[in-house]
Amino acid sequence: MTTETPPRRFPVGTHPSADDPRILVHDDYEAFEPVPPYPPRTEREAEFYTLGEGELLLNVGPQHPSTHGVLRVVLKLEGERVVDIDPVLGYLHRGVEKLCENADYHQTISQVDPLEYISSLFCEWTPVLAYEKLLDVEVPRRAEYIRVLSAELNRIASHALFMGWFALDLGGLTPILYSFIERDEIVEMLAALTGQRMLFNYFRIGGVNGDLNHEFMSRLGDWMSRATTQIEANIGLLNENEILVRRAAGMGVMDAETALRWCMTGPNLRATGVPYDIRRAHPYSVYPELEFDIPTKTEGDSLARYLLRAEEIKQSLRIIDQCLERMPDGPIMAKLPRLLRPRPGRAWAAIEGPRGLYGVYAISDGTDQPFRLKIHDPSFLHLGAVGMLLPGNLLADTMAIMASLDPVMGGVDK
Amino acid sequence: MTALSRTWDRLTLPGKALAILIPLLLALTIGLVVTLILFGPFLWQLILDNLEIVRFVLASAILLVIFIPIAFIVIYMEMKIIALMNLRIGPERVGPWGTLFSVVHGLKFLLKEDFIPTRADPIVFTWAPVVVFSTAALSALVLPFAPGLYGQDFNLALLYFFAVGGMTVVGLLMGGWASFNKYSLLGGLRSAAQIVSYEIPLTLSVVGLVILAGTLSLNTIVMQQGVSGWFVDWYAFRQPLGLLIFFLAATAEANRTPFDMTEADQEIVAGFATEYSGMRFAFFFFAEYVNVFIISAITVVLFLGGWQAPFPVPHFEIHVDPGQLGMGLLFLVALAPLVGTLLFAAPIYLLRSRTRWWVALIVGFVLFNVVVGGLAFLWAYVSIDWVAGLFWFVGKTFALIFVFVWMRGTLPRVRSDQLMAFAWKWLLPVALLNLFVTALAVIVLDVVQA
Repeated sequence: MTTETPPRRFPVGTHPSADDPRILVHDDYEAFEPVPPYPPRTEREAEFYTLGEGELLLNVGPQHPSTHGVLRVVLKLEGERVVDIDPVLGYLHRGVEKLCENADYHQTISQVDPLEYISSLFCEWTPVLAYEKLLDVEVPRRAEYIRVLSAELNRIASHALFMGWFALDLGGLTPILYSFIERDEIVEMLAALTGQRMLFNYFRIGGVNGDLNHEFMSRLGDWMSRATTQIEANIGLLNENEILVRRAAGMGVMDAETALRWCMTGPNLRATGVPYDIRRAHPYSVYPELEFDIPTKTEGDSLARYLLRAEEIKQSLRIIDQCLERMPDGPIMAKLPRLLRPRPGRAWAAIEGPRGLYGVYAISDGTDQPFRLKIHDPSFLHLGAVGMLLPGNLLADTMAIMASLDPVMGGVDK
Repeated sequence: MTALSRTWDRLTLPGKALAILIPLLLALTIGLVVTLILFGPFLWQLILDNLEIVRFVLASAILLVIFIPIAFIVIYMEMKIIALMNLRIGPERVGPWGTLFSVVHGLKFLLKEDFIPTRADPIVFTWAPVVVFSTAALSALVLPFAPGLYGQDFNLALLYFFAVGGMTVVGLLMGGWASFNKYSLLGGLRSAAQIVSYEIPLTLSVVGLVILAGTLSLNTIVMQQGVSGWFVDWYAFRQPLGLLIFFLAATAEANRTPFDMTEADQEIVAGFATEYSGMRFAFFFFAEYVNVFIISAITVVLFLGGWQAPFPVPHFEIHVDPGQLGMGLLFLVALAPLVGTLLFAAPIYLLRSRTRWWVALIVGFVLFNVVVGGLAFLWAYVSIDWVAGLFWFVGKTFALIFVFVWMRGTLPRVRSDQLMAFAWKWLLPVALLNLFVTALAVIVLDVVQA
């Protein structure tokens, strides 16, 4: 064994690409730095990849254990303190909007399903709502109630998963498995209703795919009888934990004005004190008939975002109770032709999902395919705020702050 | 020549191995016997003259070897207990209740590729796990496991323990620096900062105890805790604050939750061990669990009475003279398993009609062994000192290890600045206060008695 470091495979200046001025990699040593192998394209990039005294670049992802999907972030660190970040998106890009524009209206539903794979029903609901506006159809009331019921269940599943992941990113091993119990029960009962555990493919233009069945109802009744106590217990497991509270309080603070400027919606906005909920602000479906509160917090930090989601779970349970109570009889599908050709026109539909505003802007040109479909996803906007929240924090908090905004990479990259 | 090579070719692989091994062993045995005959008395005298050195070498070798199974047991414990706390099943496939799981784990490490990343420093990279594991194992050299069962006993044992235990940070820094990976570097630096900070409250928390004990020898400290035979003599009752500080600081020293920032997988992947694979990673892995065992053991030794039982245990000598029994003893030894097995098997076979006779025999044999083993343990416990000592020592140590595992299953991780603030703003002043109060109490008591 020698004391010398191993010889460089390409001594400086001899790499095959050394003559090409567009490629900056002269040496395999430089290949280890997370610097893009091309000259900076923008001023911002040039500024970011020029290192100051005592700074270092740290590549996080896309295979990092806790980036919640395939997000890649280049962090500029000074010691352990984050100075600046450069997110690199697009690892999960499928071109969903274009796929939808080249298929007929019904096929949109299965295309948008995997966008936010944790809360698929909301991804289905938005284009369905937009197409219903284009077609000007009346959805049967029973179908609307079933939609609200299943979507609220999905919201609880999504929030339960969030709470587990958040604790896991702060280093707690156990809560994720407890919250997976809730999620698994909900997912199983939705599977009994829709046929799938994750990508439900359940909503249809003008109604839903199947009526409530016995297995779903028995599972739901069984779970509802103990849901409140179980969820209370799971929340208490974390809320009363001194270490978690001390870490999450004051972490990633955002005031209401900033949140509005960054187009935040959903729990992340309500955690800053703005009581904006689309279910109340721009009511859709049967939400005007249902009683529920819009919980808000004023701190705007990670703890507030976490506690707010715990509150929302309880409100969702209230909504489910009312849905079961008022469930009307009747058909579950409107009468529609098999091949849909809406009149030429435009429609915008927005719903309140577990992460915020899910919107779809659809343009019809009178054929059987949408002319243009623009999908608005909250995860993408929330992830944008990370660049504002992270600098100044420690490396230990980066993942937890990201997790507290609850982005899903499928929706970010579309 | 041809005949020889043809014979060699006709041998199977085990045959070839035997053909090499038998002559080799014969030659070695003859050499050993000749050496012993010629230099035996001289060698024996050499050993007797350097008994301390021989003892040291033997104890180090034994400790290095026994810590692998201990690490296996602690790993299995952690997996199973955290699984139960997580409402999972945990390892269950390999061996009864998954007990052989960590053995398979170790075999897997042996079979993995031994990998040194490009541009890593090969020498430092290779030696880092060695340093970490050997310091962990060597710091156990002074632990008194039972009366008369210890590696070394000298009057600076506690100082030696802290000095060698603190060397771990060198190995972690080596691993972090040599890996040529920024995550590893961050992990190594975190561990350096953390261990250096917590070394101070850790050491200060036992100074009060040392003032009370008047010695640094761990053996003497354990002896002092068993004067009356009851657990009130333990230092935990005279230094409760010291125990608390020591336990917290030791948790941080061993990089355990909630102070496990050096290998926070949500932040820096696996810290200093990110680039390690195969047996090198296994040694880091073992060292972590050996450290858990050792800090539990030293807490038990210092504060929880070491190998002393919590209550006085009757000690008798049962004198049996085998010569008096003559042939009767031989018959007894030969027949006891047979008769015992039949005695235990008979009720099982007779009372349950569906039981096969051979099942009843197997169960009877197992029951007989359990009962005889229990009786033998009881006999050994009351009449052999170190059996009782080892029993209590291992029991207390594993109870403490359970606490560490419990904390891992329950608590999230603290942030590095909170960790440092806790060490310097809370633990250090409280440790100093504890030291001050203890010293004052000792002086006042001296004055009062004088």
